[in-house]
Amino acid sequence: MSLSEAEYMVQENSRTLLRVENLKKYFPVKGLFFTKGYVKAVDDVSFTIEKGETFGLVGESGCGKTTVGRTILRLIEPTGGRIVYEGRDVTKFRKNEMGWFRKKAQIMFQDPYSSLNPRQTVFQLVMEPVKHHGIGVDDPEDFVVELLELVGLNEGHLYRYPHEFSGGQRQRIAMARILSLKPDFVVLDEPTSALDVSVQANILNTLKDIQEDMDLTYLFISHDLGIVKYMSHRTGVMYLGKIVEVGESDRLFEEPLHPYTKLLFSAIPVPDPDIEKSKGKIEVQGEPPSPINPPSGCRFHPRCPYAKEICREKEPEFKEIEKNHQVACWLY
Amino acid sequence: MSQDEYYRGILDRISDAFIGLFVYLISTIRKGWREKNRSRIAEWKLMFYALNRSPPGVIGLFLVTIFVFLGIFGPLIAPYKYNYFPIFENSKTYLSPPGEFFVLGADHFGRDLLSLLLQGARTSLVISIIVILLGVPAGIILGLIAGYFGGKIDELIMRITDMFLAFPPLILAIAFAAVLPDRISYLINTYPPLQQFLLWLFALERTEGGNLSRLLAVMIAMAVVWWPGYARITRGSTLTEREALYVESARAIGLPSSKIMLRHILPNIIGPILVYVTLDFGTVVLTEAGLSFLGLGATPPIADWGRIVYDGTQFFPNAWWLIIFPGFIVFLDVLGWNLLGDALRDVLDPKLRRSIEFKVKKVKKSKTKDMEIKEVEHE
Repeated sequence: MSLSEAEYMVQENSRTLLRVENLKKYFPVKGLFFTKGYVKAVDDVSFTIEKGETFGLVGESGCGKTTVGRTILRLIEPTGGRIVYEGRDVTKFRKNEMGWFRKKAQIMFQDPYSSLNPRQTVFQLVMEPVKHHGIGVDDPEDFVVELLELVGLNEGHLYRYPHEFSGGQRQRIAMARILSLKPDFVVLDEPTSALDVSVQANILNTLKDIQEDMDLTYLFISHDLGIVKYMSHRTGVMYLGKIVEVGESDRLFEEPLHPYTKLLFSAIPVPDPDIEKSKGKIEVQGEPPSPINPPSGCRFHPRCPYAKEICREKEPEFKEIEKNHQVACWLY
Repeated sequence: MSQDEYYRGILDRISDAFIGLFVYLISTIRKGWREKNRSRIAEWKLMFYALNRSPPGVIGLFLVTIFVFLGIFGPLIAPYKYNYFPIFENSKTYLSPPGEFFVLGADHFGRDLLSLLLQGARTSLVISIIVILLGVPAGIILGLIAGYFGGKIDELIMRITDMFLAFPPLILAIAFAAVLPDRISYLINTYPPLQQFLLWLFALERTEGGNLSRLLAVMIAMAVVWWPGYARITRGSTLTEREALYVESARAIGLPSSKIMLRHILPNIIGPILVYVTLDFGTVVLTEAGLSFLGLGATPPIADWGRIVYDGTQFFPNAWWLIIFPGFIVFLDVLGWNLLGDALRDVLDPKLRRSIEFKVKKVKKSKTKDMEIKEVEHE
């Protein structure tokens, strides 16, 4: 371990579980013979997650929020940047350390119809991680049943296959599988967007209960603003591979600063049609630009109603406007 | 109820009974197996129901069962030994037509054709099994590696595969048949247990040790050209399957690539491979018969379908039975495997199984309804 890293460990706030610094992920676009360019899916993203909190990550489709989640777990190798977990740089982990990290950090996927191996029974699915990491379990059946009951399933489901379950139940199986390792950190990659609304609420509440019971830290990725507001303590807003605003969810949703955040939040439909009409939507100009050739300066400037000359030329820096509320915009 | 449904009902009951017996046998050995595998047993039943709904498939299974049965017990139930030459005792047995001395006639050594065909069933079955056991796992492993890792590894493996595909199998077989037998016979003579095992497999007598090596040479030649097809289909299926979230979920747990390939990807792509294997059983039989017909492989007195036809060509059309009967047997064997393979395509498709599950349930429900109505009428 290098000296600078040792220094980090001292400096590290004891409440910080995960610190992402200047994370980059570029996917090469291959031509016939040469690489034609790069999709900058994640470009210079930094944030920290504290122990026991839920950090929400919102943004429209294709903004790179899922890539961030996967890169943190090194399911995708990052192009650049550091991922510091409990004071240790994940990007430099070797095999043994990865084994340790895989036990600590888990991911729950969006689509429960493809995230469970159709050829494994619930028992096998839940036992597999435990077996692989060689964690001793007195009675495997009791162990699995306990986990199943924790996530709202029961003993009768033990030897069934995934196709015999509904979407919500499958997501619960996925939960049990993740929890079998007793992780500290879980990436929730749109865990409810494949489910219908009534089931969504159940799953979200179960996730919240489990977080309290097992003292988990969540990175909650979603495009559904209502859900993010409900779930997360702090929220980061992503646009085209960059985080444009981070803040405590209550403040952020009440008083968004970045024009993109404002635009995004104004798109949340209000159930009352009178308010809906009167609240005055911010008009969106154009489509989100291609991440292969992102616009110069602030990436949002072509669509931004407040764009100035400087927005076209220079990239705004991340500024702390008020306590725990940062934004990257030339307006502030 | 239509005639069709009546027969299907019988078939369903037979397959249920068959699975029931199997489950009973396993659960007497391993306690609690039945309870843990209830879903799997239900799935097996559905597979058979799906097969029962395809008449060609049922015929194929029937033929295959017969040929596998004959392959195992044929040499034991054959009335005469393959190396018993009646011509030395009675010269009239020379090419005697069907019905004169033997049911299916005799060859130019006076040997009983029926016994030869029964003995040949073992030869062809053992050869197909060995060729497939040697070729298929190699192809599957290479295909999995190529598809899973992609990039340069994929490129390297698939180009080698292409080279093997471009190579004419017949020429390779001829070359192998010319070069290999000496070395193989040296090898098996130095390991008597191996020789005995092989002789036992082919149900041959000790004196045939020398002929064995020629058979093995052809088998090795076939195995060498057999794997590329499997590497290709396995790679193709792996390419689509590796993008599935359950593979990523396995990686998130920290499983090594080897386990992900063998435990997660392979069970999910085994369906099309099994279909291919089944079809290939027929192809191997056909190819082997073809090679024997060309004079490669089995030599007399080893009984081999292709070889019988080859020897019979000298006496055609007078001794027509020497060509018609073995030819017909090869035809039936290949037909059986092909019919079964085609039906397996449907049987192993989980989506189709779901629709059959629905149909079976509906039939059962309507049956109980019919009975209720009849009971009411009786009252």
